[in-house]
Amino acid sequence: MSLPRYVARRLGQSVFTLLGVVTITFLLVNAAPGDPVRIFIGPSADASAIAAMRAQFGLDQPIHIRYIKYLMNVVQGDLGQSINYRVPVTQKILERLPATLLLVASSFTFAIITAVPIGVLSAQRRNQLSDHVFRIFGLIGVSTPSFWIGLLLIIILTYHLGLLPATGLVMPWAPPSAVDHATTRLDVLYQSGIHLIMPTLTLGTLQMAAIMRIERSSMLEVLNQEYVSLARAFGVSERTILRKHAFRNAQLPVLTVIGLNLTTALGGSVLTETVFSINGIGTLIITGVNARDYPLVLGTTLFYASLFVIGVLITDILYAYLDPRISYGDES
Amino acid sequence: MSDTPLLKVENLKTQFFTEAGTVRAVDGVSFTVERGEIVGLVGESGAGKSVAVRSILRLIDSPGHIVGGEITFDGKTVVGFEDEPGTDGEPTRREEMLTNTEMRSQIRGSEIALIFQDPMESLNPVFTVGGQLRELIELNRGLSKQAARDRAIEILREVGIPQPAERFDDYPHQFSGGMRQRVLIAMALGCEPKLIVADEPTTALDVTVEGQILDLVYDLQDKYDASFLWVTHDMGIVAEICDRVNVMYLGEVVERASVDDLFYNPQHPYTEALLNSIPRPDQSTEDLQPLEGAMPEPINPPSGCRFHDRCPEAREVCQRTHPDLRTVTEAGQYAACLKHDAFEAAYETSRPLTDESPAAGGDRRE
Ligand SMILES: Nc1ncnc2c1ncn2[C@@H]1O[C@H](COP(=O)(O)OP(=O)(O)OP(=O)(O)O)[C@@H](O)[C@H]1O
Ligand code: SF4
Ligand SMILES: [Mg+2]
Repeated sequence: MSLPRYVARRLGQSVFTLLGVVTITFLLVNAAPGDPVRIFIGPSADASAIAAMRAQFGLDQPIHIRYIKYLMNVVQGDLGQSINYRVPVTQKILERLPATLLLVASSFTFAIITAVPIGVLSAQRRNQLSDHVFRIFGLIGVSTPSFWIGLLLIIILTYHLGLLPATGLVMPWAPPSAVDHATTRLDVLYQSGIHLIMPTLTLGTLQMAAIMRIERSSMLEVLNQEYVSLARAFGVSERTILRKHAFRNAQLPVLTVIGLNLTTALGGSVLTETVFSINGIGTLIITGVNARDYPLVLGTTLFYASLFVIGVLITDILYAYLDPRISYGDES
Repeated sequence: MSDTPLLKVENLKTQFFTEAGTVRAVDGVSFTVERGEIVGLVGESGAGKSVAVRSILRLIDSPGHIVGGEITFDGKTVVGFEDEPGTDGEPTRREEMLTNTEMRSQIRGSEIALIFQDPMESLNPVFTVGGQLRELIELNRGLSKQAARDRAIEILREVGIPQPAERFDDYPHQFSGGMRQRVLIAMALGCEPKLIVADEPTTALDVTVEGQILDLVYDLQDKYDASFLWVTHDMGIVAEICDRVNVMYLGEVVERASVDDLFYNPQHPYTEALLNSIPRPDQSTEDLQPLEGAMPEPINPPSGCRFHDRCPEAREVCQRTHPDLRTVTEAGQYAACLKHDAFEAAYETSRPLTDESPAAGGDRRE
């Protein structure tokens, strides 16, 4: 099967996944106590204003009608109006997306570029002191809640040492006039950098620890394979064995972990964004839930689910690229 | 120089230091391989054959260590220790012993190549078959990438891979087991080493393919003028291709002979037992006497002769006295068995261990 056909088929299959996500979220949001209109207008509102607004958002209709209408809109790319913000949900998502993407990208870049070499080194120096240190670090890393790391960083680096800002993000491409303490492009980049450090560590430490652990165990397993012994027996140097003969094979499980973590970290950024008051999608979801803003909650959830589906698909494609034994969908 | 053996292994000792104790996997093994010769190393599973051949390439991984003995190859000292241990009690390397880097650049692959046992696990699944072969030839023969590629295709043809140029870029999973074993042989031959060590390369294959592979090796040995050390537990293979044979039991060589002497005039009861356990055209199946019991663990080998608890000819003296490998016949056949006069062990007057003694490991002769 060719790659484009494989991708098309997988995307076709994911329509059902997404339909499931929409349905379940739709039911959950509607089952939750609280009324978006009352929350929006406030407790002192009169009955006619409430009725008018309910009609405006179609909330006066029975749930199955609303469900079908919603689906038809989604198919046309319309995620509806946010009740709270009074703008289209898509617009709100697009507005918040860059901050979240920047945070996730920065965290994973940090996690991957540190974890992969450390994992390899740890495997190479198995049971030596450095390996033990890395492993203990990894264990602490995977078992520490990220918001706790965030709070700890803020207490130390902001309150005690006053080194780094604890709130918000600065987009590196923002115009200098829109950024505090910035007059030149370089200032913007600097501000962007110092704002990113703590959120990156907060979201990235867990990822780093997870990748490091899988990298180490995966490398160890590959280094024990017979084909590595063969390379050694034919005079291939340890360096080449590590870099060429073992590395590529060992990345298969690592890739899976990165792919899955990447997609769940998008959701996981909710905590980090809250701790650092970052206006990303994570905080958007929180606002949506608090305001019982049905369209907003549904829209962001659907958006995340799509990212997840695409993430898994890309992981699978990369996997097939790295491992010639896997071909696209030959099982059919 | 040419009158010294190509490979000389003397009193080699390789041990694994495990939590359960010291595993004496290879315990004082000596043998030689002359130029142009095919020498067999036979013995049951666990006898220490693989550990012995991997020691020759110094490919023993922790917790294993070569703790004693000498290995010389083509004038180079692969393993050599001072007689006196160092102050820490560890054996001290002699000056002329090759360093790890020298082993890698001067011996492994280029001078001694190993044919691996498992054709399914020994090729890297994520690289092409041709690419892997080319890399080893390039490295060990110092050829350019293109020249190594041409050579790789040529050698794939020689080992019987049809359409080698087309199959060059295939991955291992696209090859059958027999084909992969041919590739492993091509790897060894392509590096043009002086010695090829084959560690049971046909065990994983079915009998027809095994036959083809043996024929192939026989043909190519002439052409490449390589010497072989052939590890197997199959006496049939020994008869087919070997010139001389070393029989191993529990970390020791217990008999050494030319193939003819070994088959027609075995001097060690263990060799006899091995020969009796293979079907032969001149014997009916009732004559088959499979060796009873299992080989003990090398972690705590039996006292005296290590074979005494399974030996049909064991006597009391065998429990006490450990026989070394000695010349036992006029023709210069070697065996490590006290029943031979060369040992002057009072074997004749010693009480037999079979039947009446529980230490004999049960009654095996009716
Ligand atoms: N890494 C290791 N750690 C501990 N013991 C080992 C190790 N490798 C080998 N041994 C022991 O050394 C002994 C000899 O093993 P070896 O693999 O050389 O046997 P073999 O004669 O090649 O057998 P086979 O025919 O099954 O390949 C065995 O008892 C084995 O348990
Ligand atoms: S020394 Fe004794 S036990 Fe050992 S092989 Fe000879 S007869 Fe058997
Ligand atoms: Mg073996």
